[in-house]
Amino acid sequence: MLRIYVHPLPVRIWHWTNAFGFIALILTGIQIRYVDLIGLMSFKAAVSVHNAVGWLLIGNFFLWLGFYLFTDKIRVYHPELSPLKHFRDSFRQAQYYGYGIFKGDPNPHHLSAYHKFNALQSMTYQVIMQLLVPLQFVTGVLLWDLKRFAGAVEFFGGVRVVDTVHVLLFIFFTAFIFIHPYLASLGHTPSAHFKAMISGYEEVEEAPGGAPFRDAG
Amino acid sequence: MSVAPASGALSDGDNACLGCHGQEGLSKTFGKGEALPLRVDAAAFEGSVHAPLGCTACHSDVDLKAHPGAGKAFDSVRAYAVAKATVCQQCHEDAFKQHEGSVHARRMREGSALAPTCTGCHGAHGVTPKTAYQTCVGCHSAALAAHQKWLPNAALHHEAVSCAACHAPAALRMVDLRLHDPATKTWAVEKPGKPWFEKLARSVDADGNGLDARELRDLLKRINPEGTAAPKTFRGRIELRTNVEAHRLSDKAGAIRACDGCHRDGAEPFRNVTVSVTGPDGRPLRHAAQQEILSSASAVASLPEFYAIGGTRNTLLDVLFVLALLAGVGFPLGHLAVRWLLRKYRA
Repeated sequence: MLRIYVHPLPVRIWHWTNAFGFIALILTGIQIRYVDLIGLMSFKAAVSVHNAVGWLLIGNFFLWLGFYLFTDKIRVYHPELSPLKHFRDSFRQAQYYGYGIFKGDPNPHHLSAYHKFNALQSMTYQVIMQLLVPLQFVTGVLLWDLKRFAGAVEFFGGVRVVDTVHVLLFIFFTAFIFIHPYLASLGHTPSAHFKAMISGYEEVEEAPGGAPFRDAG
Repeated sequence: MSVAPASGALSDGDNACLGCHGQEGLSKTFGKGEALPLRVDAAAFEGSVHAPLGCTACHSDVDLKAHPGAGKAFDSVRAYAVAKATVCQQCHEDAFKQHEGSVHARRMREGSALAPTCTGCHGAHGVTPKTAYQTCVGCHSAALAAHQKWLPNAALHHEAVSCAACHAPAALRMVDLRLHDPATKTWAVEKPGKPWFEKLARSVDADGNGLDARELRDLLKRINPEGTAAPKTFRGRIELRTNVEAHRLSDKAGAIRACDGCHRDGAEPFRNVTVSVTGPDGRPLRHAAQQEILSSASAVASLPEFYAIGGTRNTLLDVLFVLALLAGVGFPLGHLAVRWLLRKYRA
């Protein structure tokens, strides 16, 4: 196994802040929406924590954005420009998760510093980080002070439209927060990717001949 | 001194009173030297809800043979206003009883000179159906700033929740969906002599059991024919089911502060729903609606501008949330289970 530096410190800070922040937002969001069913804390406390964590994660998002915009690490988010290759790689990856993994096939994705996402992750994270997360933040800020942003709320079609989008994304992220760590446990050991997101170093298999698999991206 | 012109909308008797009481400068001096202006704004009285009753309905104690005379002596304008509240009580007995249990009445009994009498909130001769908010902030001008210290979205709460909905804690509340005109950015008002809303609402609500989600959509389509540039929408407010109960106001220690009194599924205010339009005299013209219209999936289109966390929770989104939870937990567990069952093939 070779150790390669894949997750720089700003990314790791962003990731864990985002992870625990999203868990806090989901829990307080559930408390706010289902106050008649759940009693983790008072409604008002849940709203206060939800607002504070929301602002923290908006700031955290700009840490992520600034890091990738001003370093060459943005290459990990470069899309695959060949649709055929992207489709083929996505199919192979889905086939691995849905079939190959059960009979011990090797992961078709070979990780490197500039190619850390497999084809499915690449597409998913493009959508999540450039569309869904910003949309969740925008709708959250509008709901935070509806009077101040009354014009924007009206532009988007009214408070119920804004809230419905916010809740739909909350539902998506709730499912994501369970599935993401499970997929992260599918490394060469169950804890390998978790340790890597703490140390920054991923362990990768050597290619035949002793060299690591080369970056395909 | 000029004599006020007679109003065509008032009776001859009322115009006779206004012949003198419409004049500037007329006043009465009380024992402590305070002067009470006796001028009545004829236009304000004509526009008041009491105009059809005439002057004598409230001033039956005036003996025209001895008028103007010394009348009953009062020490101050305040003492006069307190005494005249019994006149209001003659017709508004229910409201008066409620008021007796209010913080305003208690302060008055304690001798506060600031506690309002009936006319303190409603005015004397220009009584109109003002909103509670306008009335309350007339004295409690710092109310918004005080609420902003602890209440999230305080300005929105002040706009969408009547003061009495929280400050009359024993009162029953409701959601009133009032028709709003985006072109004028005010409540849509039914023009005098051209009633349409109640008739239209009754025709849409053919079964007479209150508007359901489909009937609300039909009503909106009828109000906003295809091609309407700025469609009118219903905006919700939390109000009291009967304004009589708005008189039993508590002090702030007794007011409702618990958010989940409203922000929960099935909360009391959301069990009673009406749709309304502002009538020509400012009072709402209401038609009953079913509470399901607040939480139906179609409310995104029919009630885009009214949403209260918990109270208007959409059932379809609740189902999606449960499915997402099941998928989020079920996919990893299912995948893990299959991996475990097939572990010997991997070896």
